[in-house]
Order: sequence, then C-alpha cells, then structure tokens
Amino acid sequence: MKYDAIVIGAGPSGSASAYTLAKNGYKVLLIERGSEPGAKNVSGAMIRESEISKVFETKDIPFERIVKRVRLIFRSKDDESEIIVKPKSKLYTISRLKFDKWLAQRAENAGALLITKTTVTGIEGNKVMTERGSVEGDKIVIAEGANALLSMSLGFRRELKNEETVLGVKEVYASTRNEVEKRFNLQGDEGESWRIISDYPLPSAGFIYTYKDSIAIGVGARVDEIITRGIRPFELLDSFKMPYVELVKGFSLREYSAKIIPENGFPSFKPCEGSVYVTGDALGLVDPLTFDGIGPAIISGYLAGKAENCYSYSKMLFEAREISKVIKSRPLVKELLPNIGLYSHLVNDFLTSWVEGDFSKLRYYKSSLGKLMKHLILGLGVIE
Amino acid sequence: MRVEERLYTLRYKRDEKPHLEIKDQQTCNKCHETYKSPCIIVCPANVYSFVEGKIIVSYENCLECGACKIVCPFNNIIWKYPRYGLGISLRYG
Repeated sequence: MKYDAIVIGAGPSGSASAYTLAKNGYKVLLIERGSEPGAKNVSGAMIRESEISKVFETKDIPFERIVKRVRLIFRSKDDESEIIVKPKSKLYTISRLKFDKWLAQRAENAGALLITKTTVTGIEGNKVMTERGSVEGDKIVIAEGANALLSMSLGFRRELKNEETVLGVKEVYASTRNEVEKRFNLQGDEGESWRIISDYPLPSAGFIYTYKDSIAIGVGARVDEIITRGIRPFELLDSFKMPYVELVKGFSLREYSAKIIPENGFPSFKPCEGSVYVTGDALGLVDPLTFDGIGPAIISGYLAGKAENCYSYSKMLFEAREISKVIKSRPLVKELLPNIGLYSHLVNDFLTSWVEGDFSKLRYYKSSLGKLMKHLILGLGVIE
Repeated sequence: MRVEERLYTLRYKRDEKPHLEIKDQQTCNKCHETYKSPCIIVCPANVYSFVEGKIIVSYENCLECGACKIVCPFNNIIWKYPRYGLGISLRYG
C-alpha cells in the first residue's frame, strides 16, 4: 500500500500534520498505537485558543472550562504568596482523551485514514514498518511523543538526560459539576487554573485545573532531583497535595497518570532528514517557562505538513513564534530551576514587606543582585 | 495513599509479552549496590522492586512514562511499547 504521507502518532502534533496534508489533497495515513487517540496521552491540560486557531477551526472545540482566573502560588516550607491573574486571551482546560479524539476527527474529516492499536516498529527509506505489516509513504511525519523510540533509533535525537527531563504525576478527582463550581466559586463554563511553584520538598511546579465535573491535580520535578533526594514521585504528589486536601475532600479518585517532559530538544535535536520529519514532544518542543506543549506541538505538526523540504521545515520552525519562544526560554529556565527557592522566598518577602511597610527584610537579596540581573537579562531575551 | 489504590483506578489490557525487560540481572545487582536502583525510585507505578537480590519487573502496572529507561545508568532496560494498543488506556489523560 502506498500513501502520499504517513503520520505516526495521533496526538495534537500528528493530527495537525495529517489534517494539514489531507486538506491539501494528499492521501494520508495516520497511525496511532493507543486504542483510540488520546488513550496514551497525558497533560494538565490548558490550551491557548490563539495557538489552536492557527491550524483548526475552534468553534466546536471540546473544552472543559474557559479559564477566568489563574492563581499563581509561590510556596516555600513556611511561606506562601498568591497572585490572581485574569487572562485577557481565551484559555481552555481540556481533557486529553476528548481533545485528542476531536483533533484526529478533524484529520479524518479532511480525508486522512486513521488506524489505531498499531505501533510503528521501524522506518527504512520510505517504508514504515508496523506490527501489522508495512506501508510506504512519500513523506513521513514522526509525531510519536516524548518517548521517541523511533526518532532515537533513526538518529534524529538522543535519549534525554536526567537533568533535562521533568517527571510529572497527576491525579483526577471527580464529583459533580455543581460541587466543582461551588468549591472554586465558578459560574457556568467558567474555570480556574492554579500554578504552584514550590521549593519543598524539592524544586517543583504543580498545577490544579478545573474540568467540568472533576479536578486535575499534578506536580512535576526534574528527574535528577527525584533521584538525588530519593523521593518517590507519588510521595512528591502526596506532599504537594497536602495543603489542598479540602479541595478534593469527598471526591473520588478516577485516574492516576505520569509523563516525562523534555526540557531540551530542537535545534539540538534534528527536525528532519530527506522526507522524514519529526514534530512535537519527539522534537522536545515544550515551553519550559509556560508549560505549553500542545500549542508548539500543533504548530510544528502543521509546519511539517506544509513543508516542501527539510530545509524549509527547519527555517519555518525557527521563524514560528511558538517554537522560537521554546528555544529562547530554555537557558532562562536552566537558570531559574535551581533558584526556585530564592524566588519563592523573594516573592513572599517582597509581598509581606510591602504589606507591612518595611522593606528591610529584602536586604538579604542584595548579595544575589548579580544573579538576579543575569536572570533579568536572560528573561529579556525571551521577549521578542 | 498507596500506589496500589492509585493503580486500581486505571484500565489496562495486558500484553502477554512483557514490553519491559532486563538485559542482565548482574548489572542490576551492581546498580543496586552503587546507585540504589534509580529505576525503583523514579517509577511512579512501583513496576520495579528488588527482591532477594533480583530486580522484579511488574510490567503490567506500567504507566508508559519512560522515566526508567532514562535513569538506568547502565542502559540495562529494554523499553518498548506494548503491542496492538495494549497496556494502559487513559480516560482523562
């Protein structure tokens, strides 16, 4: 069997690629290893409408809630400060199974053929081998996600190192729509998202997202920190959850999941060679500053679908805003991560000092001015 | 909460053929002595345990996150995906 294009993986990136190719008249095969699109995928998840709408018509997007408030919480062992942000642009919380199915459906509606329960085992030339036989494609897009076995076997990238990998663990607690709205003081489709930066028991970033009738709660920490301190991922989650137990009291645990998040990738990973293209998580395209992986995945999938050759794909990746911000954020985040404690304390001390009208507490930070300046300069580099 | 209680919430379709394998048990012994088995620490699903001088792999509980293959200092874990869409099937993700 011969196709114009074969896309491996029906996540956001793969479906965006298959959709783009099929819409342009190509005969496309979309291969997914899970029992259905999304069955193997994990994330928070919050998406930005402005990014999705660059590729897809978003009017019937299967969102859970429209995020009206984002709580930013800075936690250290003894202090906690909270800032509430009301986003001006449209942010949605989504459940991955529904969202990924919807995306794959767009690709199918455009004419792509989706086959599930099929794992690709190798690529040779324009031949894609699966456990059910092989198919040929003029163009091959590898959108296989963070555990990029194919991309690694083909030399597009190497395995991630402990210090450039975050392990995230997540739980979903369900109740009723009413109860979720009551606990978070929400009305109708409104939702709330929390971002929690903490240095205890180890530097970590956590989240709470409101879904329709459930709540997702999760935390991520760098693998090297987990190993060095010997804290098991579920122990980290339990410790992270402690202050928020009232939020899920009486709710029932519906799902536990985990995922690795790459903190390195393109351009140090090769995006393409000949007619084979790599996209999304497989290319390490998660913005470490905003935790946004779905947006860059969709954009890279779209670009791989559109690209006429390898050179133009690389060029388009560098030029795309969503991708360049991932690349620019990495050096800053590398600096910020080991200093999460410093910033948690700084934010807390600054806010308390302000409220109490006494800034003398901030004296301590004078010795860190050099470091703060360096981070500020790196931060300015992130701004276009 | 115990890991087992968390794992009870999940839907699995078991692949008869393990998708995780240990290349060489001796290497695991060496790793346990030197590094205290990072695969045991990092695994969110208690897939790995060290029982009577041997690494036991309960691959059926795997969340397919891939952290163990990254942390294995000896590259001693053969890490594949379960076949034919078997393994974990998430409902929320």
